[in-house]
Amino acid sequence: MEEVVWIEVLSRSREVIARHRCIGSDIRVGRAYDNDLVLDDPYVAPQHLRIWRSEAGSWVAEDVGSANGLYLDHGRDKFGWLELDGNRPIRVGHTYLRIREAGHAVAPELAYQSHSRVWPVLVALGVLLMAIDAGSIWLGETSEPKLSPYLVSLLTVAVVLAAWTAAWSVLSRIFSGQARFERNFLIALSGLVVYSLYREFADAAAFAFSWRGLAAYQYVGIWSLLATVCFLHLREVSPMRPKLKAGLVVALLAIGIGVQLLNQSELRTGIDRQAAALRLLPPAFRLTSPQDETMFFADIEALKTKLDHDRTEPPSASPLPGSFPLRP
Amino acid sequence: MAGYGDGQKLSGTIVKYAWALVAGMVAGANAWAQGNSPPMPPAPETASAAEHVYAAARPRLLQLRTLVAAADRQSSIGSGFLVSADGLAITNYHVVSQYALEPGTYRLEYAAADNSRGEVKLLAIDLGNDLALVRIDHQDQPFFEFDERAVHGAVPKGERLYSMGNPLDLGFTIVEGTYNGLVERSYNERIHFSGAINPGMSGGPTVTADGHIVGINVSKQLGGELVSFLVPARFAAKLLASAPDDPQPSSVELRAEIGRQLTAWQDGLYKSLSEGAFRSTAFGPYKAPESAAPWFTCWAQTNAGQVPKPRASNNTTSCTSDTQVFVATDLNTGGIRLSHSYLSSVDLNEFQFAAFVSQQNQLPWLASFAWNRKWHTQQRCHEDFVEGSAGENRPPLRALWCARAYREFEGLYDVWVMTITQDRSTEALVSRLTLQGVTYPNATALGRRFIEAVQWKK
Repeated sequence: MEEVVWIEVLSRSREVIARHRCIGSDIRVGRAYDNDLVLDDPYVAPQHLRIWRSEAGSWVAEDVGSANGLYLDHGRDKFGWLELDGNRPIRVGHTYLRIREAGHAVAPELAYQSHSRVWPVLVALGVLLMAIDAGSIWLGETSEPKLSPYLVSLLTVAVVLAAWTAAWSVLSRIFSGQARFERNFLIALSGLVVYSLYREFADAAAFAFSWRGLAAYQYVGIWSLLATVCFLHLREVSPMRPKLKAGLVVALLAIGIGVQLLNQSELRTGIDRQAAALRLLPPAFRLTSPQDETMFFADIEALKTKLDHDRTEPPSASPLPGSFPLRP
Repeated sequence: MAGYGDGQKLSGTIVKYAWALVAGMVAGANAWAQGNSPPMPPAPETASAAEHVYAAARPRLLQLRTLVAAADRQSSIGSGFLVSADGLAITNYHVVSQYALEPGTYRLEYAAADNSRGEVKLLAIDLGNDLALVRIDHQDQPFFEFDERAVHGAVPKGERLYSMGNPLDLGFTIVEGTYNGLVERSYNERIHFSGAINPGMSGGPTVTADGHIVGINVSKQLGGELVSFLVPARFAAKLLASAPDDPQPSSVELRAEIGRQLTAWQDGLYKSLSEGAFRSTAFGPYKAPESAAPWFTCWAQTNAGQVPKPRASNNTTSCTSDTQVFVATDLNTGGIRLSHSYLSSVDLNEFQFAAFVSQQNQLPWLASFAWNRKWHTQQRCHEDFVEGSAGENRPPLRALWCARAYREFEGLYDVWVMTITQDRSTEALVSRLTLQGVTYPNATALGRRFIEAVQWKK
């Protein structure tokens, strides 16, 4: 019976570069023109491989006397022959090959994601982002009103967004063949919107509920957001190996937070910078009632205990900043 | 102590002192204390009077040098003078402070006018009055006596005085000047001497025409001309009278003694503050406490004249106490500052005004006393929204309390207190109190009084 076999030439990252339809149960591969499949790889022998079906029914690749030999995938061991499973590629010279029968099972079709509605969403998000930024600048304006802060902010956001999206699109194009500019733009833009909203709300909540820690540890939220955005971009580049990618972004997150924490603890100026960064909102935004003065002075007595403890530490030891518990 | 505002404002105040430490201190001496000194005839000419004073004082004057022990080179110089036949001498604490704090690193040496040199033993100190009692190995010399009138505060203003010492290591010098009474604005008693005191003369004597000690050279006003200060003689007489017979105290004992004296000194200061030295001043719809003590100097500042026209007005009153104590070249303490800023919106909305209030110099204020890892722990803060009990005429406040401890002196702290009124959206009173080198009970007592005195105008 005439059998149809597909031989796929793969890139190092296993993307299919070329696909050849071969017929028969004994196929020859090499650089010479008397082969069934001709490979233009100078590291491949004129007669390099023979691919045939064994009596047990599986396909076998056999080295027919090349100098460079036959390898499995990225492996370093040379094989005289190899049994093929249709998934792991073999390597001859610099070429990766995968042999699949006509009956090889393929994944079900992916749901088609309509791109037609992305642009309105992008525009809406863009407007929202500009509105948040402009509003935040306007509400913080205490001197002469000037146009330049608004424009500088707009320009900065536009440039950062464009550069960031372009970088991810290029990566996407390299690894998956598609730039996916719109989707990458959507992810970046959404990330910025969430970032702006988060900053505003963290400050507001810190003021409204006396949550010191919320403002002090804002950077944890910001790093987490950055890690999430990177993960979404990576998934967009290709949906493969989600666990590896999740691991990468978690590592990025840990490094970011760790470095920031270290930086804060080593930045010793004798000033409690968190206290100096106190940001006020109109008194009407307070949602909890003020502390009784007696309690305040009790807390101040507690501060003395901490100071007395600090005294006992050598001047070189640095207590980590921001030991302010979140109040329930 | 840095004052608010610029140099012009500072003129005429006694806010800035220069301790004449590094270049040297003053040594001075007067002649006439001993029975062997000839009585001095009334001098028809001042020049010859100075000549007589110096001739008699010369063997009683000392230069005191602090040397880096390892290099055997001088690190700072000052002056001193003999007050007994068995080698007791008075100088400034700040002349010997390096040695007092780091006796392993430094050593003390004296040099007399006859070029003799020798060891110096530090016997006792008086930190608040910046005095030290030392013993030198230079016996049976003539010595100074204290002026009886000066001890009882009866020297007439305008009397001619002679200050002596070794300015800038140039050799023993005599300087003429006049007595101008006690400085009203200084918490620590100081004599205002109108004469040129230069670095190196610290610790030297200032004497009357008959050679009796009126005061000890201690500091001068930076930015002033011939505005110098002396420690009144009676404190030196007291230190001498309480002179211990013991050998030189160990470095641990000395440090503990410095801590004890600082604690006792600030107890006196805060006691005098707690005895009703506050008055209430109106700021817009609020009233807030200001000190009535004479040793506070207050200045007002406004942003009304700014260009472009400010969008919120800021009227600030700042008061600084003249209560500095020298502990080390890199540590002065004892200061108290308070300020009130009444802020009110001109055309800012509520959010913008809140941002304006948030910007009120929090970082410079929290950094307002130099931080030195050697002396201080890290600053720690606590902040909250507080209110007094019901029925009190007080607005709710955002209160910030920061403090750091002194590493070397147990029980002493620097404290920052700030309150911001939180009852109006386009007006606020920002009140700040800063206390340097204070015990925690004194700080909380004054801080509480300060916070509770921020009230609504009735």
